Amino acid sequence: MSLSERNTVVFAYESSVHSINVLLSLDEQRKQDLFCDVTILVEDQRFRAHRSVLAACSSYFRSRIVGQLELDLIIILPEEVTLKGFDPLLQFAYTSKLILDKDNVAEVCKCAEFLGIHDIEESCFQFLKFKFLDHKLGWREYQRKKCCKSRCQKEEHKVDVAADSCLEIDDVNEILQNECIHPHLKNYKSEKNSDVSLLQDNTSQTFESESERDQGLDFASLCPKYRKFQKAVGSDKAPTLESSSNIKEVQVTSAASVHRIESYTNGATEKSFEYAAVPPDTKCEDAQVEMEEDGKEEFLKQTTSVFQSTECSVEKSVTFSPHNSSVATHGLYSTAFLNTCDQYCHLTLSGMQSNTEVTEKVTEKCSIVTEPGNCKPVSGSPDESLPLKSDLCERENVNDTSPSNRSSVEREVAEHLAKGFWSDIYNTDTTCQVSLSSASDQVYSEKKAECPWLGIRISDSPEHCSQRTFTTLSSVNCPFINNLSTGNSTEISSGDCIQEQQQEQCPYSCVISLEEDSETDTEGDSESCSAREQECEVKLPFDAEKIISLSRNDFQSCLKMHKLTAEQLDCIHDIRRRSKNRIAAQRCRKRKLDCIQNLESEIEKLQSEKESLLKEKDHILSTLSETKQNLTGLCQQMCKEAALSHEQIQILAKYSTSDCPLSFLIPEKEQPAPSDVMSAVPLCIELSKDCVESPGVQSSSYQHVKSSCDTGYTQAQELCPVPVRILEKTLCLEQCVQSSGGITDFCQQMTDKCTTE
Amino acid sequence: MEPDPKAFYVLSNLAEVVERILAFLPTKALLRAACVCRLWRECSRRLLRNRQSFAWISTAESCSSNNHALVQVLEEELEKVQVLPQMVFYIADAETFSGHEEHCRGQKKARRRNSKETAIALEKLLPKRCQVLGLVTPGTVVTPTGSRSGRPLEVEDGEAGFALLFPKMDGVKIQTFHFFKDPKSKVIDENQFAEAGLKNNPDLRVVLLFGYNTWKSGATRFLHQIVNRLNEKSIILAGGHVDSFTSLTSENNSQPSESCGVVGLTFSGPQIQSATVLLDQDVVDEKTAEAAMQRLKAASIPEHNTIGFMFACVGRGYQHYKTKRNLEADAFRKFFPSIPLFGFFGHGEIGCDRIVTGNFILRECNNNIKDDLLHGYTTVMTLIHLG
Repeated sequence: MSLSERNTVVFAYESSVHSINVLLSLDEQRKQDLFCDVTILVEDQRFRAHRSVLAACSSYFRSRIVGQLELDLIIILPEEVTLKGFDPLLQFAYTSKLILDKDNVAEVCKCAEFLGIHDIEESCFQFLKFKFLDHKLGWREYQRKKCCKSRCQKEEHKVDVAADSCLEIDDVNEILQNECIHPHLKNYKSEKNSDVSLLQDNTSQTFESESERDQGLDFASLCPKYRKFQKAVGSDKAPTLESSSNIKEVQVTSAASVHRIESYTNGATEKSFEYAAVPPDTKCEDAQVEMEEDGKEEFLKQTTSVFQSTECSVEKSVTFSPHNSSVATHGLYSTAFLNTCDQYCHLTLSGMQSNTEVTEKVTEKCSIVTEPGNCKPVSGSPDESLPLKSDLCERENVNDTSPSNRSSVEREVAEHLAKGFWSDIYNTDTTCQVSLSSASDQVYSEKKAECPWLGIRISDSPEHCSQRTFTTLSSVNCPFINNLSTGNSTEISSGDCIQEQQQEQCPYSCVISLEEDSETDTEGDSESCSAREQECEVKLPFDAEKIISLSRNDFQSCLKMHKLTAEQLDCIHDIRRRSKNRIAAQRCRKRKLDCIQNLESEIEKLQSEKESLLKEKDHILSTLSETKQNLTGLCQQMCKEAALSHEQIQILAKYSTSDCPLSFLIPEKEQPAPSDVMSAVPLCIELSKDCVESPGVQSSSYQHVKSSCDTGYTQAQELCPVPVRILEKTLCLEQCVQSSGGITDFCQQMTDKCTTE
Repeated sequence: MEPDPKAFYVLSNLAEVVERILAFLPTKALLRAACVCRLWRECSRRLLRNRQSFAWISTAESCSSNNHALVQVLEEELEKVQVLPQMVFYIADAETFSGHEEHCRGQKKARRRNSKETAIALEKLLPKRCQVLGLVTPGTVVTPTGSRSGRPLEVEDGEAGFALLFPKMDGVKIQTFHFFKDPKSKVIDENQFAEAGLKNNPDLRVVLLFGYNTWKSGATRFLHQIVNRLNEKSIILAGGHVDSFTSLTSENNSQPSESCGVVGLTFSGPQIQSATVLLDQDVVDEKTAEAAMQRLKAASIPEHNTIGFMFACVGRGYQHYKTKRNLEADAFRKFFPSIPLFGFFGHGEIGCDRIVTGNFILRECNNNIKDDLLHGYTTVMTLIHLG
């Protein structure tokens, strides 16, 4: 390579921090309003900035600024750009950092888009939007409201359809009710009046009348649902009073029938509502409008009376024994309900002992006979008053009292049912459904099946929703949803109408909210699972503890030893898994506690450290002041004894800090001794010389000084570990005293300083 | 048998043809073929250099043989993989990995030795100069071998494992590191940080951290020490707490000590893009889990040559989702149809919501409080795009 070639080699120096620093200083300038040549107005707020920076960052500003020659340009941003959105963007332009939070992300995104800011990637906004959205969704209420709305809309839509087909009455509920009630009312109008009195007088008779009424209902609506109900009752009833006597007979066999009747009556009323749902679609055209008002009133009377009777019977229902279940299958749910209640409440009911057996019987029957129709009225009836309530204000009080008057027992039952025992009922119900659907090929079968759910759900919700957790509720709900989704025929949709109507009117929002959520929970919640597992566990050849405690190998060998079904294996694995989870959770907790403990101990440590430091500080301060005093005294004494000249003192003061008492001496000594004898420095020099010459022997002058100092410095000597600053303050003398080595050092220092001067 | 002279000529002279043919071979066969002649060696070297994307081998079924299923599968599948692994990261489930034989009877010492043996057997299968980081965890998340879009499985219990094989990739450096709590010295050695590429490394993008023995006292503090230090940087931090680590080639001298510590992987390279989301305890159903995935999707990380990691708590899984199995993995698959997902169920997670790409960094900034990265009962989902 030739020399000339070598000279042309080019080197490039590249700074990695330059761009950042330029931006930083620009930001600095912006903050100080240096060289700012543009003012931006956003929502009446002014921002000062540099044209070049804005133009470089934003295509919008570039287009606005280009060609503008005024000295102080004012850019008024359009409405699209908000203060909230613009401020972070301006900061981004100068700092390349964008501060986003939940409140501003949407607006910043919008503004960034509008202003055409470079180097901001859309994905970060997307990410944050989802994040914040996610959090919002985490709020259950938000979700609830949403689904609530949609539901309501749906309902309204459906109802409207129904209303259209019927006459032009605005109140949808009214329409539905009136129309449906109508046909039935005609039939059992006469019976009802007697019902009330009968109920109060004789329960069995009431029952009869009730059943009659039911049959009346049956005639009226001809609802297949009802037919099924009859089937479930177990008697092939002709639509006559004979059948009612049948029921009566059955009823009589049971010891206490009060509750039964009550539920039955309620069931009847409820059913009338239920049927009410059907006619709008099926029989709307046939409905007699002119009869509506009368019928309604009649019906209302009827219902109130029923409720009154319910109230009466509530007291009795406490004494109600579960024998009822033996009566007929249609009591299944009420009995199951009560039984579970009994089990849970440990009430001293008559026939308590037989409860469990009865329950078993009940469940058996349930699975065999499959009568879900009745369970609905039983559990649902008292709460059917809710739609009533909202529909008919006049009856509000009565209706209101009826659920509230329900005995505490019942309440607890319902609670327990909803909370813990749901799983049991859930199971039985599913079997019910299955067998039902297989048994009957009618569309109604499914609809029928859904009814109990509706009933139960409603009965649960208005009373207890305040006490219950969300998840339980949703779990309660799920099967209902399943059915809802399956049934799409007109009949079923009419059923929906009613259900949804009820929800709409229900003052408890959670009931409504349930629906949406339950979709995800259709497989049942963990509780039902646990219940199943417990069941399973009973059948296992070894207990859960063993499963958990075994090591992996032992566990596997154990599994091999016992021949287990897949279900059992699943269960065992589940148990093991859960126990492991538990252990992990324990560890988790332990870790957290560990952390907390660590931090706490650290805090303690630090606090004690702080205290000790503060103490030390106090001590040091006090000793410092003492030392200062001593020092001043000493200095004065020394100056007197050594008879220092003013210049000498000045020189001495020069090398001492301002705190040094020496400096205070200056003005005092200034006048009386302007030209005094020895300077301090020569003294020191002498000292040092002496020290150097005979390090072991202390110079006489020093000794002289020292002897005078000694008394005052005993305390100062204690101060040896005192921080450096104090040493500096107490200056030379102290150092002198500390040690002979210290003296030499000090003197050396002084001589050095002198010589440099 | 006389070789066909024409074929002989083609196969020993025409590099293009040879290369085309050799391109169909998996790595091990290719290496064998490389021994044939100089031309073939050159061709295979070129081919190997171009095999830049990672591969993985996984199993979710127990096997009958004496070894762990992962070892078995690795032995078979290594013949077929297309990459020459330089860095291998494997995770297996702790129970089967450490105590496989029936006669072990759960004695602690025997089990430990056994897990070591398994690890050694596994390491033996890999190339000599290959770095290995192996962990055992209570549960694993695996994507079936070979298919990127295969359904990832959350194996919370039972024999399973996976091994990620990283070849030498241009512009991507993957390193292992190991810090453990030394009772003697309280401060972590700065040199170790630098060695692991955790210091003075502007290209550092992702650090996967795995703590072990973190239930011991003082472990949290130790972890905080490390995590907070790393968190000051603009990198993705993800990971969790595992049962223990079984292999770590870089420092064979330090056995898995009884004290707590962290092992991990660092991914550095300017073209790496990564995003991570934290599914906290609020995420309890499909909807919320999918919302989190949507968030991850919104980070718009390219999908090719990208690995998904899922670090979940043992307390999650199907128990957490009301007995719905595989929910999180399925949610991931729904939004990322062609990204393989790997991970584990551990005793605690490290993670946050963050995006780090070459162009920008999106992270939470709480000026007053240092955001805590250590969590429990959460799931951390991370995407790492290797360029």
